[in-house]
Amino acid sequence: GHDVQVVDPDVRNCVYGLVTALGGFNGENADQYVLGDDALACLRDIKRWLKLYDEKNNRMDVARCLGEANLINGDLLPILSLWWASGQNSKHMTRIALACLELLVPLTWPVEFHSQMTVNHHRHTPYIQQTQVQYKRGILRSGGLNLLRAVIRISLPSMATPRSERGTRDEGILKLMLYLLRNIAIISPNTRLAAEGDEEETSRSATINAFHEQDAFALLLTMCSNVGEDFNLQDIPLMETLFHTVKGVNVEKLFMDDEQRTAKRTDELSDLLKKESLVRREYAKNAPTRHGRFGTMIWVKRDDAKVSTVSGQGVLRDDQTTLQKMDESKKWNKPRPRRRQEDVVQNNNFNMPAHLNSEATKNLRTFVEEFLDSGFNPLFTHVRKAIEREAERVVPINHRQFFYTVGWFLEAERVRRARQLRHRTAQNGGRTKDIEPDSYGLVAGVLNQETFISLNRAMQSSLDNKEWEDLNAQMRCFTQILLTVQEMALSPLEEDQEIAENIQNRIFYEETTHDRILTIVRGYKDQGFGYLDACTELAHVFLRMLERYSKDNVDMQIRSRRKARKRQKKAAQVAEQEGEDVDEERDSEDEDMEEAAQVTKERSFDFKRFSAKFCNQSCVDTFIAFTGFYRELNSEQLKRAHRYFYRIAFKQEMTVLLFRVDIISLFYRMIKGPGSMDPNKSVFKEWEELVRQVIRRLVKKLDQRPALVTELLFSKINSTVYYLEYGHEKQTISTY
Amino acid sequence: GDSALGLGLDEEVKVAKKRQPVAKLDEGRADEQASLLSQPGIPKLRHTAKHKLKFKGKGHEFKDAARLLNFYQLWLDDLFPRAKFADGLTMIEKLGHSKRIQAMRREWIDEEKPRLFDSSG
Repeated sequence: GHDVQVVDPDVRNCVYGLVTALGGFNGENADQYVLGDDALACLRDIKRWLKLYDEKNNRMDVARCLGEANLINGDLLPILSLWWASGQNSKHMTRIALACLELLVPLTWPVEFHSQMTVNHHRHTPYIQQTQVQYKRGILRSGGLNLLRAVIRISLPSMATPRSERGTRDEGILKLMLYLLRNIAIISPNTRLAAEGDEEETSRSATINAFHEQDAFALLLTMCSNVGEDFNLQDIPLMETLFHTVKGVNVEKLFMDDEQRTAKRTDELSDLLKKESLVRREYAKNAPTRHGRFGTMIWVKRDDAKVSTVSGQGVLRDDQTTLQKMDESKKWNKPRPRRRQEDVVQNNNFNMPAHLNSEATKNLRTFVEEFLDSGFNPLFTHVRKAIEREAERVVPINHRQFFYTVGWFLEAERVRRARQLRHRTAQNGGRTKDIEPDSYGLVAGVLNQETFISLNRAMQSSLDNKEWEDLNAQMRCFTQILLTVQEMALSPLEEDQEIAENIQNRIFYEETTHDRILTIVRGYKDQGFGYLDACTELAHVFLRMLERYSKDNVDMQIRSRRKARKRQKKAAQVAEQEGEDVDEERDSEDEDMEEAAQVTKERSFDFKRFSAKFCNQSCVDTFIAFTGFYRELNSEQLKRAHRYFYRIAFKQEMTVLLFRVDIISLFYRMIKGPGSMDPNKSVFKEWEELVRQVIRRLVKKLDQRPALVTELLFSKINSTVYYLEYGHEKQTISTY
Repeated sequence: GDSALGLGLDEEVKVAKKRQPVAKLDEGRADEQASLLSQPGIPKLRHTAKHKLKFKGKGHEFKDAARLLNFYQLWLDDLFPRAKFADGLTMIEKLGHSKRIQAMRREWIDEEKPRLFDSSG
């Protein structure tokens, strides 16, 4: 396709000339790469082109030409291999190797679609993404050469130098090396392009295995555990590499034993087969028993002597099928608002599950365990400080990566502990008493007040600025912190229990935290499934922990802040009805306070009142949106939704909120189909019972209050909810 | 030949055909077809529910639910045949946020609240 000039021909000529002059395979021995006379100068010139043409003009032309000229796989890799084989002692060759590395990093730098793209970007980005995958393939399996190891070797002298004696050049080399590892971790085959059949070679599994075999993991471990002393400036690329290695990896599966995993996989297979046969059975139930042109047609008698016609023999069976068919035959669909795509999410998307083969699973698990043992606290403490200090090397995306990675590793630690406990109990013949428990010191670096403060602040600002993917990462992190603390509280070590008690007190002390969770759950609109999953899980875990904690600590106090004015107005109102809030009146001396001023005070916490706040239409809608995915949800998620609706219907006695035709229709479909849940699962039984109870109450209510027939169509108005549920007005509210 | 005067008298006057307006589901006036407050809308729903909607009660929950859902589906199909059941429900739910419908809803509820000498029916 050179008919259309996508790149200035002069630029192309110059770049090609340089690549040709670099060297080639055309010597006497065709297998031997021969360096050109001025190879080093050529490499430096190419770098200059990239910098002075591409970077300066915000173009991608040179990068594209280099891709077309096959620079990396045709020249750079053979040169590095030459260095590895015979040039390590030659100063000149080492310089050349370094110059190669200096080109590898910008050429593998991830490119993404973003909002500030020029025509030029649009033209080159897909091509460059494609070639980068080729680069990665070349780097991961470049002949007999361990390229990653070679790159690490280049940087070893700089690493060995103590930090105080390291110059900017040494720091630069370390940076190059780490960013190459990071780039390799990021590059992944574009799922939007047609498969070429060898995606496996550039998959996450291949990356992890290469990192393992070529000691990149060992290097990461060393650097992470010494991040405070020797590698101050390297914390961010280290964390990024970790993020891109673990994003989307299922922790539970990672820590399964081989037998478990085999069993699980067999289970998964048989599960899938079962699911498929379920689908088939369901089809068979409704499938025509005669040929396609048998031509049955029925009339559905309607009111006012009207009839509708529906064709097909299936409709003879029952009303349900007939009505369903009537509905399906409608052609018009309500137009749906298209969701706005968030910028730059492709490479940082952690919602996409990553699948690992068994070897990669083993390798990654080993790494994760070693990292938890030595690198977790130093790295994350350091990164947190860098982020808070707004260090120059921190870019906005790092915040999201930080919280996600912390959450991921906290989960890994929990699952690992559970696994260890199982193993030891098995070894001990079932006695848990003699087992020496471990403390939670290994992850203490993120269980401190500083982290909570920065997490809280970050959550609030993401919420205020509608940065949903950031909030998603923060919610996951918060959920994992809560779960870790919950397990700490159950630890046999007294010290752990005390710390856990302390942390819980701190987390639950601020009313703003409670309110924020509520706002998040209420505010779900169209942020996507990953977000929905994260926010429902957070609400679920938070409510359950808070319930338990406030039960154990009956006189729990929380600090609430309110705007002064608002509070007084309210106080005046409330004081009429409730005599108990005498202390509210004391605030009245602050009458002259400015509106912005906040009143801070402690008051006792009432779980019932708090959980009642989750009892409203918007929270119900969020959980309904989540439940709508019931066919893709696992049992843990289905349980989460079940518990919520159970709470609404039977603990808070607000079944009215569920009395809406679309909700009833969803519930009915989940149990009776078409496309119902798998009836063999235990969760199904629980749901069936819940739905049955809800319907029973609905039928009763319809008898008592015929007005519900219309109200079933709508979300309930606050002022009528109480009447519909209880049949009389709320006594405490003065309506006039 | 007169057309040469350039007055354009001979030119055919093009009347842009207006597209048939697509029926919309709205809160509407009482005389409109596909509107919530018209005769085939909620008044009919309330009326037929009183006569047609009978349940079997305990032990027949799922049959009752199916009956209820079918009742609404047929009503909605009459009111606004264009939309699928789920879509129609979403549209109606949205209409329920309007001031006017909310006022009506409150009225319907108040109707059934016990009052002296008033048998709402």
